[in-house]
Amino acid sequence: MGKRPGSFYVLSAVFALFILFLYGPTLTIGILSFQGPTGGLTFPMRGLSLHWFRDLFEQQAVGDIWGAFRRSLALGLMVMVTTVVVSVMGGFAFRKRFYGSGILFYLIIASLVIPSILISLGVGLIFSQLGFKIHWATSGFGSQLTWTLPFGLLIMFAVFNRFDKSFEEAARDQGASPWQTVRYVVLPIIAPSLIGVGLFGFTLSYDEFARTLLTAGSYNTLPLEIFGMTTNVTTPVIYALGTMTTLFSLLIIGAFLLTVWILGKRRARLGSDAGKGV
Amino acid sequence: MLKNRHIQGWLQASPLTLVLIGFLILPIITIVVVSFWQATEFSIIPAFSLENYEFLFGSHVTYKVFYATLKYAAITWALTLLIGFTVAYYLAFHIRSQTMQIALFLLCTIPFWTSNIIRMISWIPFLGRNGIANSALQSWGVIDQPLEWLLYSDFSVILAFVHLYTLFMVVPIFNTMTRIDHSLIEAARDNGASGFQTLRHVIVPLTKPGIMIGTIFVLTLVMGDFITVRFMSGSQKANVGRLISNDIALLQYPSAAATAVILLITVLIVIGILLRFVDIRKEL
Amino acid sequence: MSKMRYSRRAVLKGGAAVAAASALPAPMVWAQEIKDITLRQFGTGVSNLNEVGQKVKEDLGFTLEMTALDSDSVTQRAATQPDSFDIADIEYWICKKVWPTGNLQAMDTSKIKNYDKIVGIFKSGKLTPESVIAQGTAPSTVGFVEGPGATAFATEETGWMTLIPTIYNADTLGIRPDLIGRPIDTWAELLNPEFKGKASILDISSIGIMDMAMVCEAMGEIQYADKGNMTKDEIDKTFAIFTEAKKAGQFRAFWKTFDESVNLMASGEVVIQSMWSPAITAVKSRGIDCVYQPLKEGYRSWGGGIGLSKSLTGMALDAAYDYINWYLDGWVGGFLMRQGYYSAVPETSKDYMSENEWGYWFEGKPATGDITSPFGDVLAKAGETRDGGSFYDRMGSVACWNAVMDENQYMVRKWNEFIAS
Repeated sequence: MGKRPGSFYVLSAVFALFILFLYGPTLTIGILSFQGPTGGLTFPMRGLSLHWFRDLFEQQAVGDIWGAFRRSLALGLMVMVTTVVVSVMGGFAFRKRFYGSGILFYLIIASLVIPSILISLGVGLIFSQLGFKIHWATSGFGSQLTWTLPFGLLIMFAVFNRFDKSFEEAARDQGASPWQTVRYVVLPIIAPSLIGVGLFGFTLSYDEFARTLLTAGSYNTLPLEIFGMTTNVTTPVIYALGTMTTLFSLLIIGAFLLTVWILGKRRARLGSDAGKGV
Repeated sequence: MLKNRHIQGWLQASPLTLVLIGFLILPIITIVVVSFWQATEFSIIPAFSLENYEFLFGSHVTYKVFYATLKYAAITWALTLLIGFTVAYYLAFHIRSQTMQIALFLLCTIPFWTSNIIRMISWIPFLGRNGIANSALQSWGVIDQPLEWLLYSDFSVILAFVHLYTLFMVVPIFNTMTRIDHSLIEAARDNGASGFQTLRHVIVPLTKPGIMIGTIFVLTLVMGDFITVRFMSGSQKANVGRLISNDIALLQYPSAAATAVILLITVLIVIGILLRFVDIRKEL
Repeated sequence: MSKMRYSRRAVLKGGAAVAAASALPAPMVWAQEIKDITLRQFGTGVSNLNEVGQKVKEDLGFTLEMTALDSDSVTQRAATQPDSFDIADIEYWICKKVWPTGNLQAMDTSKIKNYDKIVGIFKSGKLTPESVIAQGTAPSTVGFVEGPGATAFATEETGWMTLIPTIYNADTLGIRPDLIGRPIDTWAELLNPEFKGKASILDISSIGIMDMAMVCEAMGEIQYADKGNMTKDEIDKTFAIFTEAKKAGQFRAFWKTFDESVNLMASGEVVIQSMWSPAITAVKSRGIDCVYQPLKEGYRSWGGGIGLSKSLTGMALDAAYDYINWYLDGWVGGFLMRQGYYSAVPETSKDYMSENEWGYWFEGKPATGDITSPFGDVLAKAGETRDGGSFYDRMGSVACWNAVMDENQYMVRKWNEFIAS
């Protein structure tokens, strides 16, 4: 380890500022969620209390936060699983360079860049013209997939671009069937990236607003519910919700890091170098 | 064998294809069709008409709003690129342990788990006339009067965009940077290149694909946005997304669809140009 | 089919006559099955309160699911997703847009127990026999149709109602007297350069345009033949005045949700703005001085009601009628009136309010003790009177209603231009 160049300290300061900028609103939310019972959404603080955290678990004047949360969680998990499975299949498909894969690739890019509100509008129109019922688990689910799948696939492309084919060849030389190769060689190697795809899928779905706006049907998902809540007196309860979400995600990421760390240890012990490139 | 490969490929890609047909291609076709229909207050009339487009191109507001959209996109792009590149550079070249890299990287992602809407609302107490920023500046004696332009202005809109979308620039740039062979940088240094020259002639060219991908993310997110502009400008500014969402709100679906078609074409042209500079599939 | 249902209903009515004599019309005939019924209601957060849903479960036995949406989504859902709801809680001007889609079904007023007691505004259009119907989309003009299935509005009471009126109010400008420091008595003050950068209006076109009209008329800039049905020329002139003001920096922001208006006012970003009554009470409950200022030109009024989805049939439809009867029976009315709204059948609400509350909210008398909201916040202390006075003072000086005009499409486009300018 050589001496750090001067630019290191400058850039460290820049990075610290960036983190501060990123966390600014999170901190504001954090502080304001401890508002006293009579406090509002803005400063000044009127006392300090856990009132709004307690309130979060009680019935609100308007809406149904926990119902919306359950739906968003369920939808997020559905989207997550589907995204992982479809992206992996897609990733394998694209390695084959089949006829028309170029067109499909451009469709994926189009799906990524199309403004969300267009999907919402289009899907809403189709369902109403055909007389289908829109529901978060059908039209909402499909609309969100057009957003999470491109991300999942891009990650899969990145993974397979770095994938050392010699592992597969080795497996094949040892007489493994194609399925065995995938199951025992390829999947374990790409597994950490799949966690990434899953996390991406879940996060993007959990927070998606525009694509579900016209496709959610009778019941709101959490982002829609929060938006709906602002039509009545909004209390710092939504800040308490924000703070809880942040803590929850810290927990998940902590768990994720721990898993990776443990996997790394186990790998090191087993003497395999698989996954090092990832 | 060859034929087999294609069939297998399509089979494996079939769930993907079905989703894209059902929820991407069909909606786009519907929007294009509806954009040629007529509407009254309460219903859509399936009769061919160019009226929506005539109105769209005949109104000076359209041009203004498209200009505003591109302006937001350009400024946000420049800022996120500057910040995103710096941050990614720091993470990739100054942080030496991989665990530390991942930890710092995840640190950047945590705020993204809190709902966009909540994060946007929380800027308001910070930037308002009597908000934290103004109170702080006033107590330090930097300003006498509160700064009005901090909130409900182009400034606050772009601030929120940068805040929301910088990560989309950091991720792909960081990704490409980690693939740069460090021996190249050492070679440059051994040949007497200064830090800046190395950056300019080695790192930036090699990072281009990441920059392009980040650019695609940021541009499309900003161009398609409607909710950030509404919240952060206090409804005072408009971009194309708001024009569309206003039309939808007022049940003017054909008019919304026509605007959406023009927006889609604009976005596709911009992205099409960008894709000429980079082969995403190879460079990921 | 509908005929059969009708006769069955008539039988039920007879059977339930005894029950109906009690305070709440909860027919016992199908008490068991009713538990399985779920009605889905949507509307804005203004009246889609969970407490109402709970009370319905207690009193009527079935489940009422409430979804709160922003006002744009409310219009969209009513117009485009008839299957996603059973009961629509919408405003009368939204009804004017949505009714012709055929997504709602007309209600038979003979099944509405308190129909006769509904205030005149929603029937003949007149508060008292001498009143003049105000301009705009007055509820009486879109309140009735000729019969079930009709898509055109009737001009008088027909026995088939589009919406059952639930809440309504007279809106005016809200001000921060502590930051203004002088009396305000006209709508024209909204564009007074004194409040540059500290004024706001709402970004909901059908409501905002009426505020604009009130202001332009008060300034003496435009004489409208009918504010509620402007000509293209009048629309142009109105927007010209406001666009100029916007470019000069008169407005701090436009608000679209209830909450935004509260925060703008409470944080001092804005000192004068078009506002809703409960938003004022929300600001006040934070200990900030805020007045719902009566103005000499009168109020801009709005009304909301519940409509039934066309897909409601059979038992669910019967349950919906029970819900409506229950709604007008007074508990909800009292609940809403204690927040500053008015109930469509004020006299039944009286039973659910204390004398002090009734005096303060309805009769415009000075409070004899603390006035608290249903959520426990103190809104007024003894001796204070309601801004604007009694029900008849306030609803009697309504100058116009939120409106959907003949030239609405044109107006909407101009509105979009105004926001973008």
